[in-house]
Amino acid sequence: MNEPKVSTNLSAKLPLHALPWLPRPSAKIRDRMTSLPGEPLQALLFLQSLGQAGWGEADLRLLGRKINGIVRSAPPNFAAQARECGLTPARILILSASTAAHIADALIGTAIRFKLLLDVAIAEYEEPEPWLDRNAVELKGNPPDFVLVASDSRMLKLASPLGDEAAAAQVVAAAIARISRIAEVAAAATGRPVIVQTLAGDPDAIRFNMDLGLPGSPRYLTDAFNHRLAQQARQDSRLVLDVNALANLVGEAAWSAGRYWYAAKYPFATSMVPLYADNLMRILAAQMGRSRRVLVLDLDNTLWGGIVGDDGIEGLALGNGSPLGEAHAALQRMALSLKERGIILCVSSKNDEAIALHAFRNHPEMILKEDDIVVFRVNWDDKAANIKAIAEATDLGLDAFVFLDDNPAERKRVRDALPSVAVPELPEDPADWLPVLQAAGYFEQSGFSTEDQLRAGFYKANALRTAQLERIGDHDDYLRSLGMTLSITPFDAAGRKRIVQLLSKSNQFNLTTRRYSEAEVAAMQTNSDVFTLQARLEDIFGDNGMISVVICRQTGSSWEVDSWIMSCRVLGRRVEEAILQRVVQQARLRGITEIVGRYIPTAKNGLVRDHFSKLGFVQTGDQNGETVWQLVVSRYCEKNLPVRVDLRQE
Amino acid sequence: MHASHQTTSPDAILARVQDVFRAELDDEALVIGPETGQTNLKAWDSLAHIRLVSGIESEFDIQFSLAEIEQITSVRQFVQLIEQRTR
Repeated sequence: MNEPKVSTNLSAKLPLHALPWLPRPSAKIRDRMTSLPGEPLQALLFLQSLGQAGWGEADLRLLGRKINGIVRSAPPNFAAQARECGLTPARILILSASTAAHIADALIGTAIRFKLLLDVAIAEYEEPEPWLDRNAVELKGNPPDFVLVASDSRMLKLASPLGDEAAAAQVVAAAIARISRIAEVAAAATGRPVIVQTLAGDPDAIRFNMDLGLPGSPRYLTDAFNHRLAQQARQDSRLVLDVNALANLVGEAAWSAGRYWYAAKYPFATSMVPLYADNLMRILAAQMGRSRRVLVLDLDNTLWGGIVGDDGIEGLALGNGSPLGEAHAALQRMALSLKERGIILCVSSKNDEAIALHAFRNHPEMILKEDDIVVFRVNWDDKAANIKAIAEATDLGLDAFVFLDDNPAERKRVRDALPSVAVPELPEDPADWLPVLQAAGYFEQSGFSTEDQLRAGFYKANALRTAQLERIGDHDDYLRSLGMTLSITPFDAAGRKRIVQLLSKSNQFNLTTRRYSEAEVAAMQTNSDVFTLQARLEDIFGDNGMISVVICRQTGSSWEVDSWIMSCRVLGRRVEEAILQRVVQQARLRGITEIVGRYIPTAKNGLVRDHFSKLGFVQTGDQNGETVWQLVVSRYCEKNLPVRVDLRQE
Repeated sequence: MHASHQTTSPDAILARVQDVFRAELDDEALVIGPETGQTNLKAWDSLAHIRLVSGIESEFDIQFSLAEIEQITSVRQFVQLIEQRTR
């Protein structure tokens, strides 16, 4: 077996609220800040790199305050510059009946780790309803990007007579109705996603072992409330911050630490702010298309115990019969369940390819099968280079990647070479890995669609298509050989979840990067000034699912392409030409004479800079890189494309 | 936990307390002494108080009791309590 490693990692001793998956900070943040560059953008990028470490609450606050200071005193075009460096501004409004202002700076300091420049507005010490009433006009004029209803057990004061099930149900229903109403008002006023919170158990409340089953007991009420809240949120398309899960993760007593409530009406302990902030930012990032989607796994001492080149397949610790083997099997099971949630699994390992693949295929205790892995990179090359190669093969950005490796040196090298890849620190003992990885929440998703389940299959089929292209050679012949059928329909309720997902997650093939909530998308269906289109693509290798969304807004006899999104996995298949053809046909039917296209550059959508030009549009404007294009409908000539278009009722 | 055992002289403690005050009150040029208190430092209001307490707790890895949090009104009291805790 492999030799025991020298202890270099203290993460095993770190509690989960210290965010042990992040590298430990060196020195105090105020000492690090003495080398802050004077130029604002450089300063921000410096603070972004500082922000990657697992700072405590006080340091995080300092970091946030510094960022806020820079943003507020920066020149007017600063937001555009920051955006070019990948930092996206986002505003959140927090409604809290307790104290909330103390977390604002820590949220800003956390947001930069997620490439967000956060602006925080807070309404605290007040019931949310009157506050929303008073500020309705202002909210409509300048809406935040997100609203958080930060309710806690002290605000809701759930109470009902012991043993009375009907009364308890009524109390819970009333509390849910209240939160729903607040969320509804906030959503109506802002048109933006609303986040609601589950309740942590009140540490001051009596809790006998039987209480979970006793109607009216604090445990019973909190539990019933949380359950109903999450169901209601799913129904109303609200986002959920599961505070109760966070409290359970660290222990309710540690989470709530009464002294902060008594001294300052803080709803939870200050030491828990980094964990809370990290979870809230995950939700924002997921909404903005920034969750991770690929897990790259090392083999030796990660997927299995031991080094296959030295120990041989029979010497590996994996599965039944060895405690260490059980731990590695548990990791494989976790990876498999991530795959079921749509996460793409890949392997990068320094090994002899034949030996490693032999073990992968033939070890009887392997839980992951060859078919579960989309890309294998098994060679002696640098791992950073291999991860880049995987990114190219899957057409996914590096900031969608998480790299899992037991070796601290490899982790550091990848982190240094590819700063946008998430590389979790791991406790030394594989037995301690899973709680840390689960708490890190890299793959946060706010919704679940059948597309998610099928995603790995899509990427696998893409690899088969590549093989077909190599066989056929000529690109158009190859495209015809795929037997593509494009099904185009207007937006409908059945497609809505996936439409919202494409709108919120697509960054590369996205002309304007406008994000719309589910409610906004639903409203488009009945708006006669809006033309919408969703497209699914099938071919001989399978169903690609919904791959494109187009929204056009009508002014007079002109259509402006408000949004045009396409999944990168169908690039190079002339699908966009088929979609344009359909848009033009529809425009003609409705007496539209011109189609206007707009390209708004971001750090990620350089891919479509020439999109309209390639489709035959003529450029009519250019301001700071934002370009405007025009297509005169009468001049468009129908093309013979290698894509059959299947039209449903429109 | 950090370097507390080598910096427990009253002057060294005061210097670190000043760092915390500067950070928490967002005033890089702030100079404090034992006499500095809620009465003569305007920025030290009740909201700042809990931030200062929390900042000092994390700087020295100690914890104040609720009674102490209520009673502390001056830098001198902070330094004395820190001395007791880190001795």
